[in-house]
Amino acid sequence: MTTKNDTPDTTATTATTAQSGTATAATTATTAPNGAAAAATAGYAPEQAPRLEWAKHAPEVYKAMIRLDTAAKRGLDARLYELVKIRASQLNHCAFCLDMHTKDALAAGESVERIVQLSAWEESRHFYTEKELAAIELTEAITVLTDGFVPDEVYDRAAGLFEEPELAQLIAAITVINAWNRFGVTTRMTPGHYQPGRHA
Amino acid sequence: MSRSQLLDQKVFQAMRAVGAAAKKGLGDPVLAELVMIRASQLNHCAFCLDMHLRDARENGESEDRVQLLNAWEEAEGRYTERERAALALTEAVTVLTDGFVPDEVYDRAAQLFEEAELAHLVSLITVINGWNRLMVSRRVPPGGRQA
Repeated sequence: MTTKNDTPDTTATTATTAQSGTATAATTATTAPNGAAAAATAGYAPEQAPRLEWAKHAPEVYKAMIRLDTAAKRGLDARLYELVKIRASQLNHCAFCLDMHTKDALAAGESVERIVQLSAWEESRHFYTEKELAAIELTEAITVLTDGFVPDEVYDRAAGLFEEPELAQLIAAITVINAWNRFGVTTRMTPGHYQPGRHA
Repeated sequence: MSRSQLLDQKVFQAMRAVGAAAKKGLGDPVLAELVMIRASQLNHCAFCLDMHLRDARENGESEDRVQLLNAWEEAEGRYTERERAALALTEAVTVLTDGFVPDEVYDRAAQLFEEAELAHLVSLITVINGWNRLMVSRRVPPGGRQA
């Protein structure tokens, strides 16, 4: 086995298959992360269908959510907003949302490094501006409500760096990505098929 | 501007529209209040608890069912099977940071609610979670109805 110890099992299986011979398997290994259908042939777990097509069954809610999304992001820095969306989606474990927002962030010129470091931002503060750090911290506090309140120090740090209208929009935007995360996770929306820019 | 006033009117109106569509589609105001109270308990939202406790009482909800909601799983006979499935789903969808929405919780709700009802129930759980966030983060005091 030539794979590293920390390689996940699925990747190890794929690597073994590829080494055993076929060009198809090798090609699949390269393209797998972008297409779950192809991944199935490479030893990955099968792609799951969503539990419920909620937007089809609740079209008025979906339309209102789109309007809410538009209202919440007005006046907010687009680059900051993508970081907020990715961090909330990490905390809420929304695969569909992570697929969408990491692709949108990359397409908008965000660096791979800043996206990868985001889940450990407290130890990689020098990758981010003070405003971004305050926004990420506020995102975490507002996302993990069930474990406590939004601490004064977290709120005050954001309030010290953002003008009031922008702070209001930041709070709204954190709320809205939390809502999309809930739809995505609950109805198990399938990640992997998002084309960057479609909803950015 | 005080912390509690940090809410754009367009966002407020859009949130109300999402909530109105969700409640209308669910078509069960009694269940809707139970769901909104339970989510507000989990998210520790004083403003939302105050508002929805009063709304539930105005709808004719019993004091008994409101008081026992925090321990609904042990309060057998107080809530219908549909209500219990909806409350279990509410908890799972609210506490996302600790895990996913388990198949058994989702499937139980899916058996008792038609797809359109379920889509609106999920929407309602989502929108009260949104209000909880807007109110807790701005520390809006309980007792008023206006944001």
